[in-house]
Amino acid sequence: MRLEIGTFPVHDVVFGAQTQWRDGLLEVARDEILDAVRSDPRIAKADLELAKPGESVRIWPVRDVVEPRVKVEGPGVVYPGICGRSITTVGEGRTHRLSGVGVVEVSETPWHESGGDHLFVYLDMSGPWSKIIPTSSLINLCVVVEPDPNLGVDARNDAVHNAVLTVSDRLAAATVHQDPPEREIFELTDVDPSLPKVVYILCLHSPQAMSGSPATFCTSTYGLTQLTPPWLFHPNEILDGAITGPYRTAFATSWTMANNPALLDLYRRHGTDFNFLGVIATRTEWTTQHEKEMTANQTAKVAKMLGAEGALITWDAGGNEFIEVIRTLQACERSGIKTVFLTSEDDPTGSAPTLLEPVPEADAIVSTSFFRADLLGLDPLPPVDRVIGNPQKISGRLRDHYVPTAGPLPAPQRYDDHYGFSKLSSIEY
Amino acid sequence: MGIPVAMISAIYNLALTTGANRVIRGARIEHVCGDPDLGPEKDFAYGLQIVRTALQALETDVSGPTLFDPDESAPAREAVHAS
Repeated sequence: MRLEIGTFPVHDVVFGAQTQWRDGLLEVARDEILDAVRSDPRIAKADLELAKPGESVRIWPVRDVVEPRVKVEGPGVVYPGICGRSITTVGEGRTHRLSGVGVVEVSETPWHESGGDHLFVYLDMSGPWSKIIPTSSLINLCVVVEPDPNLGVDARNDAVHNAVLTVSDRLAAATVHQDPPEREIFELTDVDPSLPKVVYILCLHSPQAMSGSPATFCTSTYGLTQLTPPWLFHPNEILDGAITGPYRTAFATSWTMANNPALLDLYRRHGTDFNFLGVIATRTEWTTQHEKEMTANQTAKVAKMLGAEGALITWDAGGNEFIEVIRTLQACERSGIKTVFLTSEDDPTGSAPTLLEPVPEADAIVSTSFFRADLLGLDPLPPVDRVIGNPQKISGRLRDHYVPTAGPLPAPQRYDDHYGFSKLSSIEY
Repeated sequence: MGIPVAMISAIYNLALTTGANRVIRGARIEHVCGDPDLGPEKDFAYGLQIVRTALQALETDVSGPTLFDPDESAPAREAVHAS
């Protein structure tokens, strides 16, 4: 499976008469694109707004950020499966991407109606919060969209994300007949057999047990978010967006999954430092100890059958999902696979350990800092001149009152650098 | 001498790790103290067994985090130490 990624860097975005990319300038035909979004009868309101790095702008709430990509050669479509898109297996041929630009999903549509899981991700385009969130340094085209409120919650989620993909598709389509300024080939070629064989175990939270949502909330695999057995991916599939979807942390957006630095670094060292065997996507938030341990055992079994000698493990959640993750690590180590665990840590001052279930096998951990954003010393985030999205923001421990979104605001609840984008420095003591 | 505590948990290993002394194995995260699939009567009986196990755990001296399993033949007070 050979995939060429052609990159079209974007240095500026303007609204104009025609959607086109030329020498780094992306022109966006606003009305034409909005007509396409509004042609979906499920959409009640839609608008497009631009936010550029360094501007005094806050975007609230953010459900997802999508990188515009398009398949130019080879089967399937980018971001397959989700919102009813083709489920043809992707990862071959040529894909174009617009780098430096994000399509932001701005909507009050709740993930589900089961309670909890509130929308609380937002982007600042300047100030301290912007400096540690990777998508804040993109030129962000915000799709401010609300669906028909009479629809069911899954239909509203589907409509909103589909609107964002419609915009993303239109932007990326502008590159189809042009030669990309940058090209990179991704292929798991035959390599020196003495190189260590490595898998990437990508743990993905499933909403199934808590919300019952089958497809519209959380990072999907070809559109599915259910609890599934461990699923083997070619890394090219992920570069074509096979693992994608809106999510509740700023570090697991569609843009993040397609630009995952842990995946890309591992892949680029294939043939030099490693023999990269592939990616195992393991679902988390099973709801009994047995299920959690079984999925961990089965993940390790798949890794072993692939011939893995080493595994990089990441995860995207917090709380009880940790059991699947740490038991996967343990099962790998017990079957002779060395592991490296990339994770954030809990507050060290409470009574619980910084890792919920510390196991002795977890002896190679890369920490991306505490996940609690209030420990980062950013409070309060300064007020902004302009808000994209809702000017009122729900607030308080009991979520019982509204405050102006323009701020000042306390730092968001969580900083979850799941994949090592970190711009934070650290000291060991 | 403090107040003895028994904790019913579906993800009992987590409770044991975080230092709970008496942990009772619950059903699932969604329904810790029962199983609606059993129907009202059996669901109630199962829930009662879990709660009784918890009450028995409260009366049991333990020297560290200990698991109590309501599914074991009643009265369930076989204590298994966490690994």
